[in-house]
Amino acid sequence: MRARALEGGGPERIAAQHARGKLTARERLALLLDDGSFQEMGALATHEETAFGLGRQRFPGDGIVAGFGKINGRRVAVFAQDFTVLGGSMSRVQANKISRISDLAMESGVPLIGLNDSGGARIQEGVASLAAYGEVFVRNVLASGVIPQISLILGPCAGGAVYSPALMDFVVMARDTSSMFLTGPDVVAAVTGERVTIDELGGPDVHDARSGVVHLVADTERQALELVKQLLGYLPQNNNEDPPQVIPYDAADRMDDELNTLIPEVESEAYDVREIIDRVCDRDSFLEIHPAFAPNAVVGFGRLDGFSVGIVANQPSVMAGVLDIDASDKISRFVRICDVYNIPVVTFVDCPGFLPGTDQEYRGIIRHGAKIIYAYCEATVPKISIVTRKAMGGAYVAMSSRQMRTDVAFAWPTAQIAVMGAEAAVKILYRRDISMAVDPAEAEAAFVKEYRDAFFNPYRAADSGQIDEVIEPRETRQRLIRALEILRTKVQQNPPRKHGLFPA
Amino acid sequence: MDNLLFGLQTTVIGMGIVFSVLAILWCLLMLVVKLDAWAARRAAARAVADAAAGGLAADPGSEAVPPAAAGTPLVRLVGAPDGLDPRLIAAITIAILRHEETRRLQAAPAMRSYWPGSLLFASRWVAAGRTRQGQSWRRRR
Repeated sequence: MRARALEGGGPERIAAQHARGKLTARERLALLLDDGSFQEMGALATHEETAFGLGRQRFPGDGIVAGFGKINGRRVAVFAQDFTVLGGSMSRVQANKISRISDLAMESGVPLIGLNDSGGARIQEGVASLAAYGEVFVRNVLASGVIPQISLILGPCAGGAVYSPALMDFVVMARDTSSMFLTGPDVVAAVTGERVTIDELGGPDVHDARSGVVHLVADTERQALELVKQLLGYLPQNNNEDPPQVIPYDAADRMDDELNTLIPEVESEAYDVREIIDRVCDRDSFLEIHPAFAPNAVVGFGRLDGFSVGIVANQPSVMAGVLDIDASDKISRFVRICDVYNIPVVTFVDCPGFLPGTDQEYRGIIRHGAKIIYAYCEATVPKISIVTRKAMGGAYVAMSSRQMRTDVAFAWPTAQIAVMGAEAAVKILYRRDISMAVDPAEAEAAFVKEYRDAFFNPYRAADSGQIDEVIEPRETRQRLIRALEILRTKVQQNPPRKHGLFPA
Repeated sequence: MDNLLFGLQTTVIGMGIVFSVLAILWCLLMLVVKLDAWAARRAAARAVADAAAGGLAADPGSEAVPPAAAGTPLVRLVGAPDGLDPRLIAAITIAILRHEETRRLQAAPAMRSYWPGSLLFASRWVAAGRTRQGQSWRRRR
């Protein structure tokens, strides 16, 4: 019986799985977990259905391998759907096994990692298989913000099954072999007449760049599993603990002179904010989350003096770093993840404002933009902001401004903190003066210069206490490390309530 | 008027001398910089040529690994194991560094300062604070 459980759907189906370029559930777990650390739960459990020929298709384990193990010595709970057994279809037994492992993970305070490779609900079980999804969803929600939940999509993930990964903290997808969609191409064609391939509908590129469902995409399954290990390195075991600290390997007082010249002298010229992040964080420690989705904002985990930090930044080289709906969703989600897992948030601000236009307004930029404000205001972890260049209007307020419970607000000398751009402001402030001037163009230029001299620097904001200190760019790293050292024991409490109403 | 002209002449001659001396000094410094760079390039080229000619063993018990690119300093292996090709040693070194980097990215045990969660107990303030954060609200009686 045990041997049968180990061979899943049998040699033929395993060979077919390999032919598709995919590994079996047990092979994946062997790659993910430390050697000899896996303790399986419910290895011999199987279904008791007899309808539609299911009585002849009984496999120990019922298409899922679940249990506890260790990743780099850290305890984790895992489950892996086995596509070689009835297409990994979701059954009552599967749900029971996932629920049990989720409950134990919650009680033990260890991360939960799910490896998804399933054709969907087990149709032969009828409504019981749908109820099975409900069992899993409720546990995903209860565990949300308590233990890190990471979902790997290593094959098809269709229908109701997509919601379990979507309810988890991070979704990692393997290219070429995986897909995620609510309704398949055939249903789409039947209902809307639209002809699409699986990849066009729910391939990794779609979810990575357009829908934002997936946080990380790897070229192969092995790389996806490695990515999960790396991601876990930045996360704590649960919401009461701190993430692991790596032995510091990059000098805390390292100064980078290149930072002093990284911001272009010409205001309209762009630069890559990732370069700032790479130079400030510990060497090669930055792991970008959602790299292709909403590229006008950059979020990810890095390390400062070995400690995990969440980095949020505007990306001036894409749409000038403006905030739009997708960027708002991306930033707010990431800030909340950092908050629940006690990871300090460092924000690099260079944002000319929210993206104007009917498209954004009609689609609800107001409520989406509000998510950023909500996330920053609600967060109780240490928060530090650095204005590198533009911080205009609402975007200045939203991007971790001093009043939104940001602990330390720095600015570079190149910072420009104002309510709006000079040209627009002058047209409002000096409309009459300009129209009555002998040479309106010359008068407007003079007013623009006056406005820029007054506001396009960080000192006015520093004067009114909005900025704690104007620092030299090259000393950013050591200033951040020093500030975070002080804030390491920061504890802040929000008012007691059932839960806040996050703008949706 | 004569005094003014004399003053101007003196100023022009004086400033001219000062700026000429500064220009000569600047040229001298540039020359030193260029000579220095030339000498460094020549030394690097010689080292590469030596390495390529198979003259890796600089002295007994130490071996030099050929640099990846011109200008890269040579890596000297002191007390290299017998029978191992320096190139193999270089490959092993790179593999070890790569492995170390991967382990660091994953915060593997050897790379961790402390066990996850253990630092929490170093600060009762944080432990108590997080407990408060997680408590649901109860009405006082």
